[in-house]
Amino acid sequence: MEHSKFHQITREMSDPAFIEEIKKMPGGDKILDCIQCGVCAGSCHARFAMDYSPMQVLKMAHLGLKKEILSSSTIWICASCYTCASRCPRGLDIPAIMSGFKNMAMKSNVTAPIALKPKFHKTFTEIVGKYGRMYEPELQIKLTEKTDVGALMHNASLGLRMFRKGKISLQPSKLSPSTHFTDIVKNVLKEEAPKK
Amino acid sequence: MKYAYFPGCSIHASAKEYAMAAQAINKYLDVELVEIPEWNCCGAIDAVYAYNPLLSISLSARNLALAENMKMDVVTLCSACYFTLNRASNMLRENGDMKGKVDRAINDAGLNYAGGVKVRHYMDIIANDVGFEKIRQQVKSPLRGLRVAPYYGCLIVRPTGIQRFDDPEHPTSMDKVIQAVGAEAVNYPDKTSCCGASLAITDEEVMMEMTKHPLLTAKNAKADCIVTPCPMCHFNLDAKQKDIETHFDIDIGIPVLYITQLVGLAFGLPPKELGLHRNIVKPDSIFEKLRVSGQATAKAA
Repeated sequence: MEHSKFHQITREMSDPAFIEEIKKMPGGDKILDCIQCGVCAGSCHARFAMDYSPMQVLKMAHLGLKKEILSSSTIWICASCYTCASRCPRGLDIPAIMSGFKNMAMKSNVTAPIALKPKFHKTFTEIVGKYGRMYEPELQIKLTEKTDVGALMHNASLGLRMFRKGKISLQPSKLSPSTHFTDIVKNVLKEEAPKK
Repeated sequence: MKYAYFPGCSIHASAKEYAMAAQAINKYLDVELVEIPEWNCCGAIDAVYAYNPLLSISLSARNLALAENMKMDVVTLCSACYFTLNRASNMLRENGDMKGKVDRAINDAGLNYAGGVKVRHYMDIIANDVGFEKIRQQVKSPLRGLRVAPYYGCLIVRPTGIQRFDDPEHPTSMDKVIQAVGAEAVNYPDKTSCCGASLAITDEEVMMEMTKHPLLTAKNAKADCIVTPCPMCHFNLDAKQKDIETHFDIDIGIPVLYITQLVGLAFGLPPKELGLHRNIVKPDSIFEKLRVSGQATAKAA
């Protein structure tokens, strides 16, 4: 009989410090309250695209399986819809925990199973940090590989559909320099740099 | 009734028509939205928050501090901004360490957030401050015979850290608006499912599978259109509908309106003023249905 990977946890796989790291992140303080009831797994609208269910990820956290969690697709597929959190009988903020795992993954050297994801978070943050507001065309252009003709065509088709309806601005909307917005961003980066 | 208005990035770009229609109906509902000057990105649900949580909360805090100076409740049309601003407001109240760091970041720009600004969704204003009765009184062309599927989506009914204004499993606020304008609220299973949000950019196939569900179940329930209170849901259901049809080789062709556009139609406002020409799936089938049912009503009378 074939055993699942949960039956083969080795000493090397389990990181005893992981649970303490989790407790420090927003929403992570309740991580040990999970009773493995499965409501999150049954409620998740994106479960079909995840390798582990949210319930499994929480159990893996208890077991200290840091590398397995940080390299799973689950943490990146979570769309923060909050269906699980609003139904969780123990009041766990599961999407916040998933965001915390994404943050850990981006700071670590674990390769994300969906290559575009870390780039999406970094680019989105940089655009907002620069203008103060999101400018979607720039995000879309920066995330499309210049060699991927299929993706370029696909985006161009959507772009045209949007442009015809006046849904795309030709210029990013920016804040006035007198607001000192960029000083706030600089202060934050001094306090908490996202990556070395 | 006056509120500090937080538009958010989508409202200034892809979702302009949502705000156009809101401003058009506000005149009839005694609602005044005063835009927060120099507002910035709400902080984003996860895009910024996962990359740099302190930056996300500081972005929210800057908006809250600007709103605090206006001494009014904040109102936003966007469910994601509603969630994000409330998350920050809650965290700044409960997490002293975070509050200290955020203060250090925003004080340099001459801002300070004392706490206590209330952030509300426009639908909360409609349901609780305006009231459904007031909407009913302003209806000039009741949308008789129109079957409307309310798509609530996620974050409007599932904010954290605040008292919810609607039920997270069986919300009714939009159903009541639909009934108030003389249309029929369709019951279908995916009212509060998730459209996949920004997965549209990073995992398009996953998003399309997720958005396909409300589109199909609303269509199977014989809805003439879907209404939504969220720019992100609207983008996935409306702008991406054609891609979903092609990808899964299915026919949907269901117009997706903002709830404010539906109300505006019933108030007898011209479709152009409600930005209906900006919707990607053309709403012509709705106009046709209303014309036919209007004639039938006239004949019966």
